[in-house]
Amino acid sequence: MQLPNIELACIIDDDGIYVNLVKKIIETKKLCKNLLIFNNGKESIEYFEALLQNLSADKIPEIIFLDLNMPIMDGWEFLKRFTKIKNRFNKQITLYIVSSSINPIDIDRAKSLSTVKDYLIKPVNIKELVNIFKRSA
Amino acid sequence: MIKSIENNSTNNLEKSFWLIKEGSCYWSLGFFKILKKKVDNENMNFQYFLDNYLKKEDRSVFINNYYGFLNNDISFTQVIKIKNKNDKYREFTAKTINKLDENANELIKAICFKKKKIKTVKKVSSDLFYYQETLEMTGTGSWYVDFLKQKSYWDSQARQILEYPENYIPSVSKSINYYASEHQELAMKLFTECGMSGKAFDNEIKMLTANHKKIWVRAIGKPVYNKKQEIIGLRGVFQNIDEAKTKELTLKKTSEVIASQNSRLFNFAHIVSHNLRSHTSNLSLVLELIDNVESNQEKFELFESIREISKSLNTTIDHLNEVVTIQTRTYNNKVQTHFNDTLDIIKTSIGHILKETNSTIISNFDELKYIDYIPAYLESILLNLITNSIKYKHPERNTIITIKSYIEDDNNYLTISDNGIGLDMEKFGDKLFGMYKTFHRNSDAVGIGLFITKNQIESLNGQIFVESKVNTGTTFKIKF
Repeated sequence: MQLPNIELACIIDDDGIYVNLVKKIIETKKLCKNLLIFNNGKESIEYFEALLQNLSADKIPEIIFLDLNMPIMDGWEFLKRFTKIKNRFNKQITLYIVSSSINPIDIDRAKSLSTVKDYLIKPVNIKELVNIFKRSA
Repeated sequence: MIKSIENNSTNNLEKSFWLIKEGSCYWSLGFFKILKKKVDNENMNFQYFLDNYLKKEDRSVFINNYYGFLNNDISFTQVIKIKNKNDKYREFTAKTINKLDENANELIKAICFKKKKIKTVKKVSSDLFYYQETLEMTGTGSWYVDFLKQKSYWDSQARQILEYPENYIPSVSKSINYYASEHQELAMKLFTECGMSGKAFDNEIKMLTANHKKIWVRAIGKPVYNKKQEIIGLRGVFQNIDEAKTKELTLKKTSEVIASQNSRLFNFAHIVSHNLRSHTSNLSLVLELIDNVESNQEKFELFESIREISKSLNTTIDHLNEVVTIQTRTYNNKVQTHFNDTLDIIKTSIGHILKETNSTIISNFDELKYIDYIPAYLESILLNLITNSIKYKHPERNTIITIKSYIEDDNNYLTISDNGIGLDMEKFGDKLFGMYKTFHRNSDAVGIGLFITKNQIESLNGQIFVESKVNTGTTFKIKF
């Protein structure tokens, strides 16, 4: 199997079981070298905002998988704050929403945002995940 | 111009009319014609009409109607008797017209006279009988307030509606007391405006009977003028609409309950779909992964995930079950539930937590000691809100929870206030009572308590409101 081209991916999701499974897929398929995991929007936005103070390329993920329904700070609030700072990283960051919400209002709203590359409905399958990593590489 | 109106108006209006324009009058040719009288516009004026044409018994009512129309645009229709050529009185219907034709000047007002087609042969006494019958059947009592004599008059129906004895003389100075306290201000306004500026009214208002019973009536009133166009009194009717109004209000409340149940059901369907989806999607992901990993060891490890999914699925089902139970409980379980007793049970069960966290509960149930409620619900509601306050305490101070019950506008309320960390209402206000919504970093925040609380309250037709300020505290207000 080829070596992963993606250095760092980021998962923002409060569902521990889901996170472990995706982690397992990434490891098994060797989709990227390192993985950042956050339980909610607040933890992750704090990470990104702190990163601005000291930009080091290896700490900026190439891909973000963002859940919508999360405690403390949900995906929408994260998107609002992330959009304000995303251009200051000097690096292409591709963001996917991964949610179990099949509400068309959520889907349309997410797809209308320029920060969002695509909206994936849970469960994501392995093939889909592999393709996303290949495309972004 | 008047001529042109007369000609133009033939199409849709009776020819016999009386124009009133900025103080001057004009009687149409048709008016004299139907009376078989000579045209006499020189002598005719309001007073002349009253003295020489109108039958005496119709005068006072007509004067009053006339000025009401002239000054306040109050339309009227009145059957009057007018003297014809042979000095015999004939019945006419006098009816106000606001607009004669499209080109007519707005300032022109007119009263038209139409021969009454069916001549009434009934005696006055039988008229009176039907009048009385009508009032009784429609539950309508009439009243009159005489400003000059400073006296009020009620007819027997009015007294009956308000449950006063037949010989009761209504008071003028204390008339405000005939209205329910919450509507006294409205009554004052209606009567004052009518008496001062001649503004007629027609309102639904709550009155107070002699037996201190609150009843809904439709109150209609208008000013009474003397010849000098001064308001000398007010007259009108009270119609008892209590039964209909009560039904209307019940219906309105029922429709609100249905709307709220519907929205809860919709919310519930959404929750079920969303919460179950997250588990099923994890399940399918795990199975796919099992197919994809090579070693048996890895496959075996993944089975552990299935166990976890099953566990959280069960928790979710338990939570949903709890919500369903609320929706299906019946009212039959409602009993007299004392706030103090309920609070005592809670204090005992969470006494150690209160002690450990140095939390204080201050309660005041003097104004409202008990309500008809499902005791288990009240306990659950209070427990949820109290533990909520303790959970989200301010790091720099001990928790003080203030609980108070009271009555406002006939409704029972309970407020639970704390001095905790508070919430940003703009951000979270609408989500606060959602399932699995937590807004704080506390790890024990499950996000089910307030959802259950809201459902319990709403299933018994109540409402819960929240006010909160970051760093100051939160107040929950329950309307039972």
